[in-house]
Amino acid sequence: MGYPIIETIDLRKSFGDNEVLKGINVKIMPNEVVVIIGASGSGKSTFLRCLNRLNEPDDGDIRFEGYSILGKDVDIDLIRSQMTMVFQNFNLFMHLTAKRNVSLPLRQVKKMSKKDANDAAMAALEKVGLVDKANAYPGQLSGGQQQRVAIARALAMEPKAILFDEPTSALDPELIGEVLDVMKKLANISGMTMIVVTHEMGFARDVADRVLFMDGGVILEEGPPEDMFVKPKYERTRTFLKRVLAEVDAMDPLKPKYDVPESIDGIAVSKDDNR
Amino acid sequence: MVRSSFIVRNQELIKKLILVVVILIAFAFALDQPLNSKYVNLFTQAAWTTIKISIYAILIGFVIGIVIGLGRISRNFLINGTATVYVEILRGTPLIIQIFFVYFGLPSLGILIDPFSAATLALGLNSGAYQAEIIRGGVQSIPKGQMEAARSSGMSYLQAMRHIILPQGLRLSIPPMTNEYVTVIKDSSLAYTIGVVELTYVSNRLITIYYEPFTTLIFTALIYFTLTTFTSNIMRFVERKARIPGYMESD
Repeated sequence: MGYPIIETIDLRKSFGDNEVLKGINVKIMPNEVVVIIGASGSGKSTFLRCLNRLNEPDDGDIRFEGYSILGKDVDIDLIRSQMTMVFQNFNLFMHLTAKRNVSLPLRQVKKMSKKDANDAAMAALEKVGLVDKANAYPGQLSGGQQQRVAIARALAMEPKAILFDEPTSALDPELIGEVLDVMKKLANISGMTMIVVTHEMGFARDVADRVLFMDGGVILEEGPPEDMFVKPKYERTRTFLKRVLAEVDAMDPLKPKYDVPESIDGIAVSKDDNR
Repeated sequence: MVRSSFIVRNQELIKKLILVVVILIAFAFALDQPLNSKYVNLFTQAAWTTIKISIYAILIGFVIGIVIGLGRISRNFLINGTATVYVEILRGTPLIIQIFFVYFGLPSLGILIDPFSAATLALGLNSGAYQAEIIRGGVQSIPKGQMEAARSSGMSYLQAMRHIILPQGLRLSIPPMTNEYVTVIKDSSLAYTIGVVELTYVSNRLITIYYEPFTTLIFTALIYFTLTTFTSNIMRFVERKARIPGYMESD
């Protein structure tokens, strides 16, 4: 299968006295979709943000295509342009149109001509289905649309991997679907290497090649989604999954909130009964 | 079509300007002795000098404001320290001392400047400290995510500042900047202390010659008022033009 595209070795990070990452060892292969799950505070977002050094790790090593990216002489801007990121709060540039949001990094980082950058931006917007919103400002877009523009911005750089930091957590429930659809397309059709921190278990089940469960700053358990969701090894994993899946159930409008008995004292209960 | 819509959109501004001009003309006629046509001409020249001092000082202050303002945000100890010391000194000492220092003090170091340049320079250096704080405030109120998003797509710190943070931060700076620019116009009156022939100087001279302080001072004040009102209206126009569609809209 070749060499991992991203590899971390005993990665550690503390905020003050609080050790958030306690030695993370992960190998991510090209074209792999890895979903990281875990309770809040388990360090999954910090781990993701360490990968492109938005947070500086304290110890350990990160290798991108085999080379360490932690040295002082590393051109981190170049690495970041090949490992772009999608944020929980979209973080679109508020003063620029959707198209300029996508094309500005192309012009600044890749030094593309105005025309090339615009063409690439429109192509990326087309992939997320927002060509008609190219000239809209972020403030004029819905949350779901903003996140799709953010994905287009990350995609247009033609990165070797994209990091997703809870991409649907800030969205209204009815807008989550459109973002997940774009991400599914990205994984299945483009074969993009993706590392996704999310609470969307449906997405993890359908798209992930591998699920990592983080707990207390370490990766407690990992495996293909069918194994993780059906027969988790650890009690912690089981509790977490049970809780998250219960929440998903509770949000399902079609599922009754309590069990309706079929009959009471021999009289059949029907839903339309208005007595 | 474009022209008429401009007038329609700026009705308020035009009304104010007409009002001010009418008041000025009324006063000019009311003051027979010291303000005959010759002295009105003198006032026009003096007002022009005041305008020039103010505009140059505002521009000098803006350039300094961006450099020092970004210095105040820098994590580099030396840059941050220099910027902080600059702001504290210029903000913590009287402007008139600074003007005197540039005009009377610097010649001791062999630097001789004419009164106009000295006043403009001192005012610009002083305003730079205030504009730096305004720009710092504007830049720091841009959410951290904007910088992170720019950096995560491979842009350098300076690229992100230049293309993402400053354009947004400067927009937020417009209302406090209006305040600062009006202050600069009013503070330019201190230039009279080193002999710059600007509004306050001319006004003072006419008072000593003709002893008509009441009317002369009101007339002088009205010219300043016209300049400051005009400035704040221009800034309001700039603010409207710079507004980001769909973002921070409150009206």
